[in-house]
Amino acid sequence: MNAPFFKFEYFNSDVSLIIAFAIGIAFGIALEKGGFGRATILASQFYFTNMRVLKVMFTAIVTAMLGLYFLSVIGFVDLSLVYLTQTNLLPMAVGGLIAGLGFIIGGYCPGTSMVAVATGKLDALVFVAGMIFGILVFGEMFPGIEEFFNSGYMGTITLPSYFNLSYGLVVFLVVLMAVGAFTAAEWGEKKMAAKTGKEIL
Amino acid sequence: MKKFWSNLSLNKKLVLIAITLGVIALFAGDPYGGTTIKVNEKSIALSTVDNSDKVSVTELADWIIKDKSDFELVDLRSEEKYNEYTIPGSQCIPLPQISSSDLLRNQKIILFSDDDVASSQAWFILKSKNYKGVYILDGGLNAWKEKILFPKAPVNASKDELVEFEKMKEVAKFFGGQAQTDSSVTETKQEIKLPTTTGGTTKTTAPTAKKKKREGC
Repeated sequence: MNAPFFKFEYFNSDVSLIIAFAIGIAFGIALEKGGFGRATILASQFYFTNMRVLKVMFTAIVTAMLGLYFLSVIGFVDLSLVYLTQTNLLPMAVGGLIAGLGFIIGGYCPGTSMVAVATGKLDALVFVAGMIFGILVFGEMFPGIEEFFNSGYMGTITLPSYFNLSYGLVVFLVVLMAVGAFTAAEWGEKKMAAKTGKEIL
Repeated sequence: MKKFWSNLSLNKKLVLIAITLGVIALFAGDPYGGTTIKVNEKSIALSTVDNSDKVSVTELADWIIKDKSDFELVDLRSEEKYNEYTIPGSQCIPLPQISSSDLLRNQKIILFSDDDVASSQAWFILKSKNYKGVYILDGGLNAWKEKILFPKAPVNASKDELVEFEKMKEVAKFFGGQAQTDSSVTETKQEIKLPTTTGGTTKTTAPTAKKKKREGC
């Protein structure tokens, strides 16, 4: 048995859709359980009053990273078959900023807005409508920004290959970073709660 | 030790586990290098001995004429040579690119180059990467030219052999070649003109770059 299962053709693309459906539902449940279905919680991350988003996301990253790393070290996962997005540095930074603005204003990211729609939140419904409208606008103006969209191409790079570090070291540093971020988040939440006099959501 | 552990909160336990794994990672090595290749030497050796990994040029010609499409024909030579002449229906994947190609593991793949050397190497690479149905075109393009495009009339042929040769003449015509009835022609091999790939063949050559599936979110 080797992973990724789909790349090793343990199942075909029809079955992969069913599996994707099951994983999608599990992901949705996890987001909802994590409290990501409420805009107030998500938006408060940006005011440093509730660091739940940072904690959940960093936990997910560290868990996935350690899992992938050790499974591939023992030869179970063939990392070279795992898809990596190509990097266009500046366009991605600009895109990230725009997405962040939308996150603060709307209180959702694309994934969490779907979760919130599923639980019947009206604001999320408006958010999704806006998102689809935004996709249409982007599609229409794409010829005009295509050059910028494709600029700063760096190929598929990873932190270890770009900074010439060993994979193990990067894994260790990310774990340290996460633990540091968790500690800082806990400390910051207490400070902010004392300052505003409000309980953490 | 046990008491220390049970006194910790769940969060602290998780943090400790993560840090421990992170420290181990420092010494565990490269995840890409960890993907070991498993080669079943016995089955590889056996298939080489009993020729079950080879497809003869006459078999292949037969399949192409019958328009069979359950196999992927791969030309391992350079793109330059590929453009000059190739077996109809093949796609060009030069040997250095074979391991990063988008050939699928459940496809029937037939490899060829000028002779058997490059295709044997590619065969081993693919076989060790868990590709199931990989075959070598026996004798490569040289055999293809010799037996299919420009077959020679057998000397002192028996009746059966002559019937067979008549068939091969038709096959040669199909692929745009010509049977050599006069043995002197083969002496001056330069005069033999290779057929153009597009003319006189049923299948046009597949475009080199297949549309790559987009992935990611």
